[in-house]
Amino acid sequence: MKVLIIEDEKELSESISAYLANEQFVCERTFDFNSSMEKIAMHDYACIVLDVNLPGGSGLDILKELKNQDKTDGILIISARNSLDDKVFALNIGADDYLTKPFHLPELAARVNAIIRRKAFEGKNEINCNELKLDLAEKNVKVHDNPVDLTKKEYEMLLYFVSNKNRVISKNAIAEHLWGDNMEVSGNYDFIYTHIKNLRRKLIHAGAADYIKSIYGMGYKFSI
Amino acid sequence: MKLFTKYSRVNLLATVIIFLLSATAFYFAIRYILINQVDNDLKIEEKEIETYVKEHNTLPEPIPVKDQKISYALSRKYFPERKFITTKAVVEDNAYRVLQFGIVTNGSVYTATVAKSLKGTDDLTQSILLISLATILLILGTSLFINRVLLKRLWKPFYTSLAVLKNFRVDKKQTLNLPPTDIDEFAFMNQALQKTTDQAQQEYLLLKEFTENASHEMQTPLAIIRSKLDLIIQNESLSEDQSKAMQSAYDAIEKLSRLNQSLLLLTKIENNQFAETANINLKQRLKEKLDAFHELWQNQNISVSSSLEDTTVQLNNELTDILLNNLLSNATRHNFSNGSIKIVLRARKLEISNSSKEKELNSQQMFSRFLSQNKTGGYNGLGLSIIKQICDVSGFTVQYLFANNQHQFTLSW
Repeated sequence: MKVLIIEDEKELSESISAYLANEQFVCERTFDFNSSMEKIAMHDYACIVLDVNLPGGSGLDILKELKNQDKTDGILIISARNSLDDKVFALNIGADDYLTKPFHLPELAARVNAIIRRKAFEGKNEINCNELKLDLAEKNVKVHDNPVDLTKKEYEMLLYFVSNKNRVISKNAIAEHLWGDNMEVSGNYDFIYTHIKNLRRKLIHAGAADYIKSIYGMGYKFSI
Repeated sequence: MKLFTKYSRVNLLATVIIFLLSATAFYFAIRYILINQVDNDLKIEEKEIETYVKEHNTLPEPIPVKDQKISYALSRKYFPERKFITTKAVVEDNAYRVLQFGIVTNGSVYTATVAKSLKGTDDLTQSILLISLATILLILGTSLFINRVLLKRLWKPFYTSLAVLKNFRVDKKQTLNLPPTDIDEFAFMNQALQKTTDQAQQEYLLLKEFTENASHEMQTPLAIIRSKLDLIIQNESLSEDQSKAMQSAYDAIEKLSRLNQSLLLLTKIENNQFAETANINLKQRLKEKLDAFHELWQNQNISVSSSLEDTTVQLNNELTDILLNNLLSNATRHNFSNGSIKIVLRARKLEISNSSKEKELNSQQMFSRFLSQNKTGGYNGLGLSIIKQICDVSGFTVQYLFANNQHQFTLSW
């Protein structure tokens, strides 16, 4: 699957592409308005990661152009502007999601995955991961077809891990994913530990392998 | 004391003194001239008598004339000295001007006395004095009137400008609307005021813009650093020490990015970017927040009691969210395990109190930026400033109370 990263900050663009590039994604990168317009005219992408402020024009105009051409590429806006109005505006003109800088790469990967899944299966989809089966519509999890009773947070956490398979996710990224950035409860990660402990216990109890590994107390990794 | 009260005091005093002095001088001058006139008349009379005596060798019969008396007295010893006298002793109490001179006839020496009444002269000087006094009073009156009416009207542009300036606020996007005036001094003043306030406003805007731009510009480097950290930790061969260092770096970046976001938020609130308000069902919003915080509280074993009444307030949607988040985060962050939080929502107020190990906050400084007395964890010291700022732009008041080791914040509207 091809992902286009339109971001004028080369370093950031490189990080995104390095993180996303795995067996699943092939990343292409453009750094300004005009070359991006050319790229989107010539190719179709599973998802486009789109910065708003670009040399030569606005990312939102690229978004409008995509919609004008009836392209079905998924679009994730990444912007330094975090007001509700900006988000609502971008979503209204057809963006699939909106992520505010600075973000965690696992968060970006999870959003890109979600967009691609939504596009590909029109919402009624499930993720199969060995013996794990996540039903994204019903928001439940089955191990060997037996339902596992997870709390909302545990389910979200599992989905987040599955979207970032074989990647180390920092505790900060998990906290921000689960609690949003408004809560200002950083510095206290005990509750993450509790959730992960419960999630692991429930999955193992249901007969799944122990996929979640702690990495030196700094983060966690879902190895498969 | 008003400028023109002071001015007219000095002015009036000077006018009075000058008029009194000139009236006095005038009086003496007129009197001198008039007496001189009378003296001349007396001299003419003397001449006539002497001529008569020379021709007839006898004293003329004194003819009774109004205001004039002539008498002769025999002088025994010597030829009397010629002299002018002003006296009241002639007739009744009227003042007279008298000329005495000696005259010889039939071998006898007489003292002739010619007296002229000064009544007319006195009347004249009196009228002059009266007129002078009347003039002084008239001038004083006019000058007072001018001060009261004319000066007031003349100074009006000054007071108008002053009133406009009083309402001027550097953070409001308003230009100073000074009334035009045809008086040079006031025009200069208005010009200077306009220039100064324009400049202040411009500097303020620049400063604000700078804060905003600086915060915006910081987002991208922060995003890069964060993404690089996210990439580095993928490295399987990181040692435990390196991992610890990475965690510290993560925490610092997190703190910085929150700080930056808070600053941006404050700037936006100040810029009135959240002016749009809606009817907010506060009870419902609080319930949603309580649900969101529930797990967190459970984890820390904080007992939460709430009593919520149906309340609708006029607030900005986004700010409501931020406000409640900040209040509840605040009550959570400064709490301890097995502590408590109490939330009371009534028709016109919201009370949130929490237990804490921290001592009473300094109510003078608590809302100042970066002045939090106890920086716990990732807290950046802007939380209370944000609460205050949101309350300020929303017309709410926020009060702090410390009692029984409970920190209580009360919002009322």
